[in-house]
Amino acid sequence: MRRLSCPFPPLAAVVAFAVALAGCASKPPADDPDAVAEYNQTNDPMEPTNRVFYAINDGLDTVIMRPLAVAYKYVVPDTVRSHAHNVLSNLSMPVALFNDMMQGRPRRAGDSLMRIVVNSTVGVAGIFDVATGWGWPKHETDAGMTLALWGLPEGPFLFLPVLGPSSPRDATGFASDLAMDPLTWVGQGVVVSALGWSRYSLSAVNTRADLLVDLDKIKEQALDPYATIRSLYQQHRQSQIEDARSDDRATVPAWFAQPRQP
Amino acid sequence: MLTRRILLLSVTALPVALGLAPSRAWAQNLEQAVAFIERTSNDIVAVANGPASPVDKMKQLQAVIDRAVDVNEVARFCLGRFWRIASAAQQKEYLDLFHRVLMINITGKLGEYQGVSIAIGRGQPREGGVVVASVVNRPGNPPSKVEWVVSTESGSPKIVDVIAEGTSLRLTQRSDYSAYLGRNNNNVQALIDAMKQQASQQD
Repeated sequence: MRRLSCPFPPLAAVVAFAVALAGCASKPPADDPDAVAEYNQTNDPMEPTNRVFYAINDGLDTVIMRPLAVAYKYVVPDTVRSHAHNVLSNLSMPVALFNDMMQGRPRRAGDSLMRIVVNSTVGVAGIFDVATGWGWPKHETDAGMTLALWGLPEGPFLFLPVLGPSSPRDATGFASDLAMDPLTWVGQGVVVSALGWSRYSLSAVNTRADLLVDLDKIKEQALDPYATIRSLYQQHRQSQIEDARSDDRATVPAWFAQPRQP
Repeated sequence: MLTRRILLLSVTALPVALGLAPSRAWAQNLEQAVAFIERTSNDIVAVANGPASPVDKMKQLQAVIDRAVDVNEVARFCLGRFWRIASAAQQKEYLDLFHRVLMINITGKLGEYQGVSIAIGRGQPREGGVVVASVVNRPGNPPSKVEWVVSTESGSPKIVDVIAEGTSLRLTQRSDYSAYLGRNNNNVQALIDAMKQQASQQD
């Protein structure tokens, strides 16, 4: 009999068991309007499940990701890390460009396009971030923000096993980004596949190294790190979406009479 | 015809004339708040980049924060709906502990801010005060957007919130305390004990 080589069925069973065990948060009684208002504002009806996943994530992070990030920071010099960051950032620019266009943000799309062109050529395959100095600043965008700008409501807060704090809208966005990324579909074979996995692994370590100081501070200072991370995530997301929504820089060329600034 | 035009002009002129008076006061408030943040940020940068020893720097920074931040107001906000159910003694103890924990958290990472510079931007009115935008440049890090919320409700301008990259620090702190209290049966004494432990860890 052939042994199960795929690890997913047992993993799925563990996840389902965790969800069933933890269940949903209990809503506070209606005679305490402040508590109810706060429960609604926190938007975390699946809190027990989320906390279980947070604990699992935290364990994996302490054992695997954080040591990797610390080693990365220790071994790799600052300039090389910054160049690696630039290369990874450049590789994810096509997805940002598509998202900017779908959001209907012409100036942001222009910034993304020029960043791809300039950094890939003058910036030697993305190593040097020349475009920022030339007037095309970096901005963050992803399919979760696109869905938000299209009017999709956020949904309850979710803490996902590997991805961390998220929501149904952002998780959908993450999957869409993977599908939209042209680099996912380009090429075949062992080398391409290895490059792809290297890119994701390096991206994970790089992101974790960037967050090293901040996450350490949260774990040290917060009485409830899970709640702190949840609050930070929700606020940061809201601020990113607001930035995108309110970015209505004029699209007239520089040599044309500029509209008056508000 | 002429009378209608005069009437139209006077009707449109009246709200403009009325609007000018409050907006001048508003403009003054904005300027006052921006000037206040400029002074405070200059003080902070001077302390962070100054030649004093770490212990002296901590004391100097504490003095700046006491002058510039309305710590009691922030503390009350962070306890939120539990302020009302706390006894007077608990409230007093909480305010004192909050002050100590805030100082520890802010001055703990003073070394990281060597070489910092702060560029102050514009002020915008918002509910309850003025929000002054700024950009904080730390060497070796990308510049970060920080907004300072200034309130004049206590008479003189005081900082009541700091919004770093879109996240309000006092909202985050309130979520933290609220979640902790939620898991400890809404018992304010449990929070006070936890804060006591935090404060004593660093002493």
